[in-house]
Amino acid sequence: MALQSFMSRKCVPYTPVTSHLKDLTVALVSSSGVYMEGQEPFTENGDESYRVIPAEATVSQLRFKHGHYDTSDAEKDPNVIFPLGLLHDLAREGFIKKVSNKHIGCKGFSTDLKAQYERLAPAIAHEIERSQADAVVLTGG
Amino acid sequence: MCHRVIVAVQREIEAKGIPTVLITVVPEESRMMRPPRAVHPKGHKLGRVLGAAGERDKQMRVLTEALRQFEFQHVPGTVIDFEP
Repeated sequence: MALQSFMSRKCVPYTPVTSHLKDLTVALVSSSGVYMEGQEPFTENGDESYRVIPAEATVSQLRFKHGHYDTSDAEKDPNVIFPLGLLHDLAREGFIKKVSNKHIGCKGFSTDLKAQYERLAPAIAHEIERSQADAVVLTGG
Repeated sequence: MCHRVIVAVQREIEAKGIPTVLITVVPEESRMMRPPRAVHPKGHKLGRVLGAAGERDKQMRVLTEALRQFEFQHVPGTVIDFEP
């Protein structure tokens, strides 16, 4: 069952962090409409799907399709909204342990809000749960 | 709405036992959804969440501020505003 269907917003899920930053493997999850070259772009209107962006994705392979914000900066420099390149830099510097093997892009917009809460959100959480990530940074589009 | 959905996603991940932090530029919408951890770089806009294209130093300040939320007890459901 999706979390949103039984958990009030008054109750906030919270997982304490027990590791230092330098020991964390970090994933990105973004409703910026980010996807990888070769994957199907998001649709013009409502879209309840998501894309898995693998570890081997390079910043130059990232694409954006959204419709609710100007993607021109993101197309020039994906770090403005999906900081995969910066995360790799932080891993090289030892600020974090590692960049996760799996990242998620979605559009996060649909006229069927219930579907986003009850299907999209749990499906993404399940993907992350099965990845190497032990911490996640999220950005919105 | 995308900013509400991303918090719904965040809450689902956090409930799986994986800590999360949101970088939001629509803090009023994000606050309504009670994110486990969130930061708001003041003055930043949609499409330039971490900064404009090429502003690497500013982007890095935003990302590291977000990651630093994992280092202390963030008050769940709140959004921390900061000057990037």
